[in-house]
Amino acid sequence: MSAESSTLTDRLGAGAWYGYVALVALFFLTPLFSLVIASFYDGRFFSIVDYEFSLDWYRAALASGSIRSAFLNTVRISVPVTILSTIIGTGGAIAYTRYEFPWQERFKLLALLPIFFPLILLGLGMSMWSSVIGLGYGIVPSIIGELVWISPIVMFVVSITALGVDPNIEEAARDLGADTVTLYREVTLPLIKDGVVSGAIFAFVLSWNNYYIVSYLSGPQSTITTWIHGRMTQGFTPVVPAVASLIFYVSLLLVVAAFVVEFRDDGE
Amino acid sequence: MSALDTLRGRMDAVATSDNPLTALVTPPYVLLLPLAVLLLVMFVGPMVAIVLFSVQPGNAISLNPGTWTVEHYAEILGGMASGEGVYGDVLVNTAAVSAVTTVVTLVLSYPAAYALARKIKRYKTVFLLVLIIPLFTSVNIRVFGWALFLVNNGVLESVVSLFGVSNYPTMMYQRWTIILGTTYVYMPFMLFPIYLSLLSIEDETIAAAQDLGANRWTLFRRIVLPLSKPGVIIGSLFVFILSLGADVEAQILGGGSIFTMASNINYSFGYSQNWPLGSAQAVGLLIITVVCGVIILRTINLKEIASRGDA
Repeated sequence: MSAESSTLTDRLGAGAWYGYVALVALFFLTPLFSLVIASFYDGRFFSIVDYEFSLDWYRAALASGSIRSAFLNTVRISVPVTILSTIIGTGGAIAYTRYEFPWQERFKLLALLPIFFPLILLGLGMSMWSSVIGLGYGIVPSIIGELVWISPIVMFVVSITALGVDPNIEEAARDLGADTVTLYREVTLPLIKDGVVSGAIFAFVLSWNNYYIVSYLSGPQSTITTWIHGRMTQGFTPVVPAVASLIFYVSLLLVVAAFVVEFRDDGE
Repeated sequence: MSALDTLRGRMDAVATSDNPLTALVTPPYVLLLPLAVLLLVMFVGPMVAIVLFSVQPGNAISLNPGTWTVEHYAEILGGMASGEGVYGDVLVNTAAVSAVTTVVTLVLSYPAAYALARKIKRYKTVFLLVLIIPLFTSVNIRVFGWALFLVNNGVLESVVSLFGVSNYPTMMYQRWTIILGTTYVYMPFMLFPIYLSLLSIEDETIAAAQDLGANRWTLFRRIVLPLSKPGVIIGSLFVFILSLGADVEAQILGGGSIFTMASNINYSFGYSQNWPLGSAQAVGLLIITVVCGVIILRTINLKEIASRGDA
């Protein structure tokens, strides 16, 4: 292979693969670029020719009381969802990957099935169920609802890390006299730490951006995604791109952080 | 430390007893119990609620076991069979959007997944990061970004006007605009499963096939394609079921003028407040989702994904 790799056709071929993936990446980024461009534009409509940079819409977004309370509601949902789904999902992952128990495969089917559900189906089912069992609508039902979708995702992410850990390590620790608490604190948790951290970051970002589940369960409380959706369907308001961009910047930072955690050791 | 010691003592005592109830507070049961309870109460429960509400008379907002009816199914299936009215449109639009989205995402994703898995070495992490970011951005925000791009006086128009192009048909509120939205939103769900399945192909396998005289086409048809089949199956089913549930795309990019199954379900719940009618439509979606979800989960091999992560 290496002997031929310097020929012109091979180099053109390699360039074509890079070019295609770059095009796909451009496609993936197009709406996000549009959003950020629009958020800094000072007029009602865009024009590249007389584009003027402005922070006015960000100022307006940060000054608005309804936007601030929507942000606060989103935080009130995302923080508990992150903590609880990380605990619940990690528990499920350790049970599934480090132990053998009856109905193990059925447990996996149930536990991971919500990942593949269209969120509209989860949202509307929960909305009716919430009314039937008297759970109601608001911040707490939204937290519980998001947990149903996000805990399985955390379990998936942590399971993949945990399956890469040699089970003999735990057996060795047991043989050396470690009891259950020591085993978890000194051996299992440190080994799957990276998976848990990226699972937690993904949980926060998914909760932060969730629309379908909160739109069915938040009731009168508006979150930042339901606020954006409401404004969007009422036509163009220049403050919406600024609010949406703020949400996007937070997600971007955290996803980059998760990548750093995941690929830290593979850098070589 | 004494509290920890007590806990230790208790856990070890519990572990040695045979009482099935105390078994629940030992691993693995204590670890999986919260997830199992959460999902039984808040996942299985709601899905049962959808099925039960679908056989309630119109405008019921609570479950009454005494009354049940199949009138909503008759209305929906009758409309779909005759191909007329809103349900005829819904069937055609939904089938078109989901099928086209699945095929288009497959065709666009496969070469990109192949390049990422086998051809791209430098900047691979950067490409993966760029491709994964949209997955973690609200669907609302991404669809809104497309609207800003395509709308009259939008970003696209101001870019092409630099080249003197000023007259072209409107881009918004067409069926293909919805397909653009669903293709965009669900393409990562096609790309990453195929990428992971292609990663598992060993360089030695390719080299051996080449040594045995396989040309590029034979190599692709006999080696690469069969080995990436699980990824293609998982990705296709994933995109198909998720695009059946595409509501925001239809609302924003379709401008509310083109109804799909998801937007019609949402309309039944939100605007006309008819839970049973919405549920009856959702049952169709539910059945397709459960069947495809179980097939996906039986195809996925977590151990294999884990071993590839190290490579």
